[in-house]
Amino acid sequence: MGNVERCDKTLPVNEMIFYVRRDARLRERWTTDLEGLCREFGLSRPEYEALRDKDVRRLNEMGVHQYLIPQILRLFYGAALNANTHPALEAYQRAFPEETAKAFALAERLERRTRS
Amino acid sequence: MARIVAAMALTHSPGLTGWFDRAPEEQQKTALRALAEMRQRLEAARPDVVIAFSNDHLLNWPINNTPEFTVGIGEEHVGPADWYDEWLALGKYRIPGHAALARYLVNEGARRRIAFAHLRQMQFDDGISVPMHYLNPEGRLPLVPVTMNCTVPPIPTPERAYQVGTVVRDMLHAYPGPERIAVIGTGGLSHEPGGPRYFWVDEEFDRWFLDMLKKGDHRALLRECTLERMEDAGSGGTAELNAWIVAMAFTQGPADVLAYMPAIAWRTGTGMVVWNDLA
Repeated sequence: MGNVERCDKTLPVNEMIFYVRRDARLRERWTTDLEGLCREFGLSRPEYEALRDKDVRRLNEMGVHQYLIPQILRLFYGAALNANTHPALEAYQRAFPEETAKAFALAERLERRTRS
Repeated sequence: MARIVAAMALTHSPGLTGWFDRAPEEQQKTALRALAEMRQRLEAARPDVVIAFSNDHLLNWPINNTPEFTVGIGEEHVGPADWYDEWLALGKYRIPGHAALARYLVNEGARRRIAFAHLRQMQFDDGISVPMHYLNPEGRLPLVPVTMNCTVPPIPTPERAYQVGTVVRDMLHAYPGPERIAVIGTGGLSHEPGGPRYFWVDEEFDRWFLDMLKKGDHRALLRECTLERMEDAGSGGTAELNAWIVAMAFTQGPADVLAYMPAIAWRTGTGMVVWNDLA
């Protein structure tokens, strides 16, 4: 199976993001007191540090559900205009350079095909 | 007796509203043309209610409890959810529900051994908001939203989606009302939201899948389009096509493929189909 099978459904951070996203007060605390928030939700130190460092690869490897990782980044960088040039997406490009290069090369080939 | 009057399926990627103009112009034009045709065909079918099968992206249910299917039973639906409005670049919308039909699905589903969870106030992200923006922008058509779990393991198989679609179809045929019902599946095509291949679109898989729909042999599609194959084409996202397969259960024979775009700017294989022959 694919990457989504890496998910550790029992990881506290996977539950925490669910509640933070839907609560403006928690979103505010995310930016002002991430460490305290993580403690309240029972996150381990490595979970907190991976969040603090916005470390996409580490978050994926420790079992954060892949769909929640872009949301974690949007909590830091903002949600508007989430195109491939958005800082949240740039973080992905840095985390997975090989996969990204392959995809962008495909985008260029497709663009050329449309033009010709 | 209720009647199915339309069945269609489309991609619901947030880029279709949130950063639409970042895609190549040709893709923008193709998408708008196909979405306009879909809306026209939906309205021409004169439905009294739209049942939209989408998926819950961990918005309504936390990861410790992700029901396979959930029905929104409210009298009115309000979206997008807070925080998602900015992402989708959409203002708040209100669409009337159809509580009687939605509650019938939940209760009759239980009698037929399908566990539908339900929510009186469902929250909406791209899965429902993007299709409604293009197909039901004034909120005139009442909506019954049904979400599936397509992203938290274990993900239902396409066979399961088809089976549930078949049961829902039989339930609707037995619904004691005169409603004309349109069924819309939303999600897909290939994409891997938040995975290492976030920017990738598997054009080969997408064209193969659409070709299978065009041929219209449902048995062959279910035999060949396994969950593993979907996961290979983009993990945790491509399986949203399960919602298309639910819609397919309301049809027979081939679908019209209105458009396909391998839209890397929207991070999703993007397509729109309409079925002509309803089962």
